[in-house]
Amino acid sequence: MAVQGIWSGTISFSLVAIPVRLVTAVKPGHVSFHLLHNKDYSRLSRRMFCPEEEIMVTPDEIIRGYEIVPDKYVLMTDEELESVSPERSRTIEILEFIDMKEVDPLYFDHPYYLVPSKGGEKAYQLLVEVMRRTNKAGLAKFVLAEREYLVAVTSKEGALELITLHYSDEILPDEDISPKKETIEAEEENRMKKSIEQMIEDFDPGKYADGRRKKLMDLLATKVKEKTLVEAPPIGEEEGEGPADLVAALEESMRKVKEGR
Amino acid sequence: MAGGTIWKGYIHFGDTDVPVKLHTAVREERIQFHLLHARDHVRLRQQMICAYEKKPVPAEEQSKGFEVEEGKYIIVDPEELEQTAPESSRMIEIHEFVKTAQIDPIFVDRVYYLEPDIANIQGKGYNALFKAMKEMDVEGICTWTMRKRSYVGALQASGKVLRLNTLRYADEVVPVASLDLQNVPLSEKELTIGSELIDKLTAPFEPQKFENEHEKKLQQMIEQKARGEKIAVLAPRRLKPTESDNLLQALEASLKKAA
Repeated sequence: MAVQGIWSGTISFSLVAIPVRLVTAVKPGHVSFHLLHNKDYSRLSRRMFCPEEEIMVTPDEIIRGYEIVPDKYVLMTDEELESVSPERSRTIEILEFIDMKEVDPLYFDHPYYLVPSKGGEKAYQLLVEVMRRTNKAGLAKFVLAEREYLVAVTSKEGALELITLHYSDEILPDEDISPKKETIEAEEENRMKKSIEQMIEDFDPGKYADGRRKKLMDLLATKVKEKTLVEAPPIGEEEGEGPADLVAALEESMRKVKEGR
Repeated sequence: MAGGTIWKGYIHFGDTDVPVKLHTAVREERIQFHLLHARDHVRLRQQMICAYEKKPVPAEEQSKGFEVEEGKYIIVDPEELEQTAPESSRMIEIHEFVKTAQIDPIFVDRVYYLEPDIANIQGKGYNALFKAMKEMDVEGICTWTMRKRSYVGALQASGKVLRLNTLRYADEVVPVASLDLQNVPLSEKELTIGSELIDKLTAPFEPQKFENEHEKKLQQMIEQKARGEKIAVLAPRRLKPTESDNLLQALEASLKKAA
């Protein structure tokens, strides 16, 4: 399976530069529905619409604007936006290495993987291996989609994982909601400890599944057996020969959903 | 200040019930842009367009369909979707406790602070639970239902309060194996020098050292443009990748530089 990147550039540490692509590390397991027009069951697509001229606008006719006073905008082109931090928009520069254990999970934002681009395989593997040996993570900054991120790059099962971190000023303090000092009843604490002790296990993320997803799949399976299918009108293209067995087709779709596609 | 209360419930395990209030722990503020029509600068709106009729479709004419095969859908009504919603409950049920630092960061989704709900008559035990968990160095793996969604999470005693991390379901994480990474042989010398370099470049994690410089520069650029000043457009810097044959050399030079 060829992995598609959301971003491509270079990851660097000191004088070593590795060409890489950024790919997603998580795929929401929501059962994906399509929005349809309930008159003709045709697929709906999200488009930008100019309310003044009442027409759809194509991406090349769109420009970003920052609203300074109501209805007055400062316009920004893509080139201008990319030029805000030209040194960071194509480079993930590792500024220093850290011990991941020092990072409070409160800082974790979103995980990605980095995969090597052509010619970068060896240096990529070197970084994976030396971070594994030293048990360190790289701390870097880079700009993705107009936003600058502080990120931690870690070594995971032979791959580089990249986790975007929150900035410290985005973390809200917890003092104002912390409990008042009260004397803790030793009896109660000991009772809890006993209870906890009996419940200690190893973490197994595979143990829990989204109950709602299962219910949705059951609902869909019932409906497909009742053959309550609707069909979208053909739009220009020729219709392919679909599989005749609808239940099998649904199972196939479910399998894809489960695999995260 | 912590964010406002977003939900109330109670932590449950064994004979213990601890009522709590959830607060957001992170607030992001970003410069927001609007999308404008380039030729008349009218603010654009998102519309759902029918692929067949090529016209905007109002909300009441929209349905949700699950695609069984190309172009064939099962329509699911809002009432049917409602039926699949988990039963509402106020219980954060702990199923097991695990030693801390066992959870891979890739699973961590969102973090909430928990405040003791002292208005609740049983609003006790918060401090005892915090202390017990901290001393035993454990976190609680729990499930709960909030806003018609079921969550799996980790209850932690960190900082000054109990925290609830929502976790991703295991099948939502992309396995490393699917990345199809190649195995390239490395020399022991490359690995030794590389490791030495990393040790030299290691520092304690001090997040307050880093601020969002980009956001400040962007704010400046907007102000300059608002004043009608010209902006110099700079091309993004692209680094020349290190050639595999020069890797050892680059590592040695880096180590020398770091010394």
